[in-house]
Amino acid sequence: MLLSKDRIGGLLLLAFCIAYGLLSQEIRLLPFQANAAFHARTMPEVLTVLGIGLSLATIIFPGSREKPSLAGYSWVTCGVFLGLMSLYGFTIRPLGFLLSTSLFLMIGFALLGERKPLTLVLVAVPLVVVFWVLMTQGLDVFIEPLPAFLRAG
Amino acid sequence: MIEGIMIGLSTALTPTNLAFVMLGCLAGTFIGMLPGLGPMSAIALMIPIAASLDPAAGIILMAAVYYGAIFGGSTSSILINAPGVASTVATSFDGYPMAKKGMAGKALAVAAYSSFSGGVIAALFLLVAAPFLASVSLSFHSTDYFALMVLGLVAVAAFAGKGDMIKALLMTVVGLMLSTVGTDQTQGVPRFTLGLIDLVDGISFLLLVMATFALSEALLAILKPKGDADRLKEKEASQNLGSMAVSRSEVKEMAPVVGRSSILGFLVGVLPGAGATIASFLAYGTEQRLAGPERGKQFGKGSVRGLAAPETANNAAATGSFVPLLTLGIPGSGTTAIMLGALIGYGIQPGPRLYIDQPAVFWSVIVSMWIGNIVLLILNLPLIPYIARVLAVPSRFLLPLILFFSLIGVYFVSFNTFDIQLMVIFAVAAVVLRFLDFPMAPMILGFILGGMMEENLRRALLINNDSWSFLWERPLTLSILLIAAACLVAPMLTSYLRRLKRQVYDKAGEGG
Repeated sequence: MLLSKDRIGGLLLLAFCIAYGLLSQEIRLLPFQANAAFHARTMPEVLTVLGIGLSLATIIFPGSREKPSLAGYSWVTCGVFLGLMSLYGFTIRPLGFLLSTSLFLMIGFALLGERKPLTLVLVAVPLVVVFWVLMTQGLDVFIEPLPAFLRAG
Repeated sequence: MIEGIMIGLSTALTPTNLAFVMLGCLAGTFIGMLPGLGPMSAIALMIPIAASLDPAAGIILMAAVYYGAIFGGSTSSILINAPGVASTVATSFDGYPMAKKGMAGKALAVAAYSSFSGGVIAALFLLVAAPFLASVSLSFHSTDYFALMVLGLVAVAAFAGKGDMIKALLMTVVGLMLSTVGTDQTQGVPRFTLGLIDLVDGISFLLLVMATFALSEALLAILKPKGDADRLKEKEASQNLGSMAVSRSEVKEMAPVVGRSSILGFLVGVLPGAGATIASFLAYGTEQRLAGPERGKQFGKGSVRGLAAPETANNAAATGSFVPLLTLGIPGSGTTAIMLGALIGYGIQPGPRLYIDQPAVFWSVIVSMWIGNIVLLILNLPLIPYIARVLAVPSRFLLPLILFFSLIGVYFVSFNTFDIQLMVIFAVAAVVLRFLDFPMAPMILGFILGGMMEENLRRALLINNDSWSFLWERPLTLSILLIAAACLVAPMLTSYLRRLKRQVYDKAGEGG
């Protein structure tokens, strides 16, 4: 069977719909709700049937038979960026906004080809500081700027 | 209506709101110009800022960003043949050839004048159509709303293009599924929370939009970096624009095109699901046919008519798409779906009562469309040579910044680091699905309408004593559902008939 883009996507979404359907059965209903025409499980159950049906239709009647080509893409860089974003989420509180964001941007610039350390610092740091000032002074949105070990109290 | 316009003018013309229109147009143009980032990403990036403003100012800002982004998309289409969004693809057909002939400045001016005219004329139509439709829709029941939402979702899928309808429908269902995550609105039962307290309130709409549009767009650009030739082309294009003057004969040539395309664009924009892309292609095709054999040959080679038609139509359609949003509370496009989400975030429910309950919001959006179009013309056009320099900013700086703004935009609303992790998960799913050519806009539409759809259906059943008979007993509901069914069947039928016709021709060819 030809694994075209449509079929791969259809298979992935079929798995998602089946998982959704299984989880929908875990929605707890009170006894009097179970017999109602519409309860918390109704919509999820209808959507599961529709989702599975449409996923199967995508697999059986694919709109295009184009095969995905993985060559020529920077998968590793993209993966590293995903990791970097996740790491940013974990460090924004303990490291504070200024340090975590400056590091995020500098690593990001470097990953995409900027090699001069001075440029990395000169682009990232002033931008982060200006953004922080704008948010805290202009829009009254406070975000802890400093790492946990430098905070007073 | 005069009273309404006065309310709108008094709200939109305050110095603060005027500043937001200017800021929005400028920011929209700036973001829309970046290839890949369209109006949806631009509006999504603005939501955290808009959330801190009062509703009228927030919506004015987002509407201005919308026009600015469409204008910005046209600029990158003309200058570097890289349409930021599908609705400006037709702009590049004649805009880019003009730029290649050294008339980039003129092409940008034609695009700006056409966009301005399309936007202003369509805003006039909106002024008349919106209150009328709103007064009609006051008689709508929950059952009709449910049916209208079904129509809206189906129409988006139906217009998705050849072979993509099933995929668009599937993505709509995925969006509806995601909308069920969190505590059930009436019974208070947690659904699909996986035991995580962070999911009890459901998935944030902003988070989903940012992850599936802005983040995934930047990640896709990282995945397939541009070559040196492309970067050089962008740098050169941003520096040599030429004269922006448009001659009297060219204005004469544009005028009828602008008139026709405005009407066509507005009407297409009002239809749920059709939107600016279809409007721009339809206008281009129509004008090519109307131009006659001699002028028609110029299309695709730098024709002023060929540039004016899609530019007028896409802006008129953008304005038209506000009609179902403002009057029925049903977004006709992904962009207006995001705006609906933002309105709901303010505690405002768009619909027929909007212009009665929130006249300032209703009328100021309409009035700000005119102001926005004027700002685009008098402020953005002269600034284009400077704004175009954004195209020369190296992507190695731009892409991490887009990622940062997307992540921090969501974090600043919730201050929950779980949201950043959830965004990463959604971004991975969006990149994979977009890589496999699955559309994201229907999913967002499904996500936004899911909660309302469930609520209206539940209410309809409650009113009808748990009987589903309202689906066929109430004529208006039935009519809307039949239109939805027709929207689904028509593309399948035409595709089947076309295949049949081809088979007949093939057989005839073999026979003789």
